[in-house]
Amino acid sequence: MLRSILTICALALASTSAWGQGTVKIAVLGPMAFVQGENHWAGAEMARDEINKAGGITVGGRKMQIELIKADTNEIQSVPDASNATERVITRDKADFLIGGFRSEAVLAMQEVAMDNKKLFLGAGAADAKLGENVEKDYNRYKYWFRITPTKSPDLARTLFAVLGAVGAQIRTELKRETPKVAILAEKAVWTEALVGAAQKNLPVMKMEVVGTWQPSPVATDVTAELSAIKRAGADIVFTAVSGPVGIVLGRQMGELQLPAIAFGINVEGQKDGFWQATAGKGNYVATLDTLAEVEMTPKTVPFVKAFKERYKKAPTYNAVTYDAIMILKAAIEQTGTMDPDKLVPAIEKMEHVGVAGTDTWDKRHDLVWAVGKTSGIAVQWQDGRKVPFWPVQVKGMEPFKLPAR
Amino acid sequence: MLQDILVTGLVNGGVYALLAVGFSLIFGVARIVNIAHTAFYMLAAYCFYTLLVTFNLPVLFAAVVAVAAVTALSVVCYKLVIEPVREHESAVLIATIALALVFQELMLVAFGGNFLGIPSAVEGVATLLGVNIPYQRLLILVVAAAMLIGTWLVLYRTRLGLAIRATANDLEVASLMGMNVGRVAMATVAISVALASIAGVVVAPVFVVDPLMWLAPLVTMLAIVVLGGLGSLKGSLIGALIIGYVEAITVFALPAGAFLKGAVALSIMVAVLLIRPDGLFGVAFEEER
Amino acid sequence: MTNPLAFAVRQAWVNLKSEVFVLPSRILVLAWVLALLVLPLVYPDPYVLRIIIFTCLYAILAASWDLLAGYAGQVNFGHALFFGAGAYTSALLSLKAGLPPWITVWIGAAVATAVGCAVGTLCLRLRGSYLSLATLAFPLIAIGLLFAFPGFSGGELGVSGLKSLAATRTGNYYIAVLSMFACVFGLWKLANSNFGLVLHAIRDDEVAARASGINTPRYKLAVFAISALVAGLAGALFAHFIRIAGPSTLETALSFQVVIWGIFGGVATIYGPVIAVFTLYPLTDWLGSFKALGELRLLIFAVVVLLVLLFMPRGLSPWVRDKIETLCPRCKQRNGRWKPVCRLCGAPLKAVLAARSR
Repeated sequence: MLRSILTICALALASTSAWGQGTVKIAVLGPMAFVQGENHWAGAEMARDEINKAGGITVGGRKMQIELIKADTNEIQSVPDASNATERVITRDKADFLIGGFRSEAVLAMQEVAMDNKKLFLGAGAADAKLGENVEKDYNRYKYWFRITPTKSPDLARTLFAVLGAVGAQIRTELKRETPKVAILAEKAVWTEALVGAAQKNLPVMKMEVVGTWQPSPVATDVTAELSAIKRAGADIVFTAVSGPVGIVLGRQMGELQLPAIAFGINVEGQKDGFWQATAGKGNYVATLDTLAEVEMTPKTVPFVKAFKERYKKAPTYNAVTYDAIMILKAAIEQTGTMDPDKLVPAIEKMEHVGVAGTDTWDKRHDLVWAVGKTSGIAVQWQDGRKVPFWPVQVKGMEPFKLPAR
Repeated sequence: MLQDILVTGLVNGGVYALLAVGFSLIFGVARIVNIAHTAFYMLAAYCFYTLLVTFNLPVLFAAVVAVAAVTALSVVCYKLVIEPVREHESAVLIATIALALVFQELMLVAFGGNFLGIPSAVEGVATLLGVNIPYQRLLILVVAAAMLIGTWLVLYRTRLGLAIRATANDLEVASLMGMNVGRVAMATVAISVALASIAGVVVAPVFVVDPLMWLAPLVTMLAIVVLGGLGSLKGSLIGALIIGYVEAITVFALPAGAFLKGAVALSIMVAVLLIRPDGLFGVAFEEER
Repeated sequence: MTNPLAFAVRQAWVNLKSEVFVLPSRILVLAWVLALLVLPLVYPDPYVLRIIIFTCLYAILAASWDLLAGYAGQVNFGHALFFGAGAYTSALLSLKAGLPPWITVWIGAAVATAVGCAVGTLCLRLRGSYLSLATLAFPLIAIGLLFAFPGFSGGELGVSGLKSLAATRTGNYYIAVLSMFACVFGLWKLANSNFGLVLHAIRDDEVAARASGINTPRYKLAVFAISALVAGLAGALFAHFIRIAGPSTLETALSFQVVIWGIFGGVATIYGPVIAVFTLYPLTDWLGSFKALGELRLLIFAVVVLLVLLFMPRGLSPWVRDKIETLCPRCKQRNGRWKPVCRLCGAPLKAVLAARSR
């Protein structure tokens, strides 16, 4: 125990870096050893550099620079580490605002810490609806939470069905099939439960036949068994809802087994640049929902994506929307002239922000209001090593969706 | 569906057999529960990836170098870390856990937490009994069979194999008979990790490579060797086939329950242990009776 | 007529002088206890208190593992099962049935005890590595079951939105610290009693123990139950502190961590794993706060463990204890190392003997 006391004393001496009254401290929380955290940080850096170069944020007449605090939550491997990191940036590093988060189980714990300390926490990664439900249930405690990206999981379903309708129509015309057959392949997880149920109900109404539902583990490394059964069932579309490495395996094994179906749905691994290499070039025609691409969702999207690619030599994932989070903070602070969270909350609630991912407005759960072309996200498909955006078709920059040759 | 189960079970069982036999060998001879066994498998996969993809070396050459490098590393680790604490069984246990963690973190630092894909050595798909199997999986099966036969030959037809079996049977008497028990243990470690590395090199193209890839096979492999009986190679082989088939059946019979295949396999292991506490073909060691 | 209060104080002082101050290790323990109790008054940094709370809860878990694995020889590779059972039970009851945390924590511990009995029964006939690997399987099966009923268990998100036990950080701190003292000292007393002696016998040679008339299955079940009770209590307190109970409480990584703490600190001591947790957990967290080293935290941890194992194979605390204390050659009782004669029988201690014989 003496050891611990000495360590603590050394810590106290070392952590006098809590000074810096003249800066706005924003903590970026994320799994920094993984793609999600890297993107959290990259997006935040781009926002910080842009704002600081233009002079900083005007807080009630005074110009203040943004100071970013990098906090590795290690949330993928440990939930207590994530909540510890959150508390550390608040109490040790004296962060004013928190942005980031990815793993829903961890973000729920992080949200508790942030709300305890009445700090604004802007989420940029976790889709679970409970985070927003907390705001509705206990507004006074949870009002400091806002979700910047993605839309909550039930809304992801709405986007999915919108795109499925388009893909289904294309199959009807090109393959001359009246009722395309759909196989549902969703990882066994809480976030897919509602999606699977909704798919089973809606697809027949959309004139598509559900030939079966398969639910592998999110970390399954082998889905040949599932794919053999799907091939036997004669599916045209494999409707995917996967966030773990099973998404890579799925793409690769579909290519290897030469399945005549196309995979579309949510495939988080499929959103990453490394997907093509991870499937050893076999993941052709895999399509998924995504957030950022060089298309004109808003006038800011294309310049941002281009600048990001130039600076970091890879395409941004949805976690890079921490850029928007900081821009929203700036707008709210400059509008109210203060950094007081209690005054900023109503300002953000009423705000309509044109960001890089879409045009954001919030509902009473502090979740994004869903609308096609505004916050619905986009859909992309891998074609010969390129991630090609193809939906919503009315946005400038979209290319056509391709079906595999039969 | 029956053909799917037959073929998938066989291929997956073959993969597990490669890992399980090596693990069982080390336990039988050196009485070491090597938690880092699948970590070596992971190292071989990463090594193969680096040689093949980053340096663009030919497939066979990269495979042989990866296996040789990891085997050499394992002998070094054994000498430095395991041998000094041999007498304290519990210390050996956490030494191997710590070693596995070290490897995991080194790979995390070197390659990042992302998933990597290794191109298959052989492209194309074969059709067997109406089931599509990629050639790479058939390759795995062939290599697994070859390695197992090779191991059997070494164990039952060479002097080294005789020494290994003797040491496994009774350590003290083997030592009295003049066998260098330390060197036999080292040879066993080398053979065992070589098997794991070969598994890593042939299997990695079929799965995904990431720093945490050693945990899931570890659990399945432990279930298999326990089921088959620690120290029994025949048991490991049969256990691997059983678990391979159980997982295939779970996925085909219960598509919505595919995620349960791990839990089902483990439950089978527990069930077998209740009936036969030493596993199916377990070897009870002399001093423990 | 002696004043009863004065008498009690004098008696305590005499006890202190004769029992505690005579051995360096006991002085250290006293200092540690006092330091923990006084910390919030001296240095009330909420983050430090948070880390110590986690340390205390993990220390309870590690100590309970030591009773099972070190004393009874049942090396459990799935100890997180009891931790998670306590956490989930308390969480579900407090959320769904609306019971206050004070009650649900105890019910959580009770359910964990039941789970411990079940596991103990299943493992009665298993020995050695078979036991270890079977216990490894149980938390994984539990996770599979939890995922199969996501509406009930919250699936991979777990159960969130729990209430904490005390309203302030300091309140929670004292709850954790006092619980730890109660559990660890209780376990230590139990382990040093006849019960502990029987456990040792079972570990060393179960057949001989049975031959001596000891009902070994009953003792094994009892130790599983007690160990699970304490671990479940730690889990329930943990869930209420972090305000969420998720599958991370059942992870294999946590079970392995407990095994490392136990063996690193020194098995069959109870205080050994506690020392290990108090040394390693704040250290790894401190390393995590450095930007450069943060990502290498687990690596450094593993390397430290390996190095310590090479130089102190029996664990940290036996090594430290041997440096500050020594056994009297005649009466075999522990004495401070620098003492010239044994405090109990007056025999000259080794160091002096060696000096004399030179």
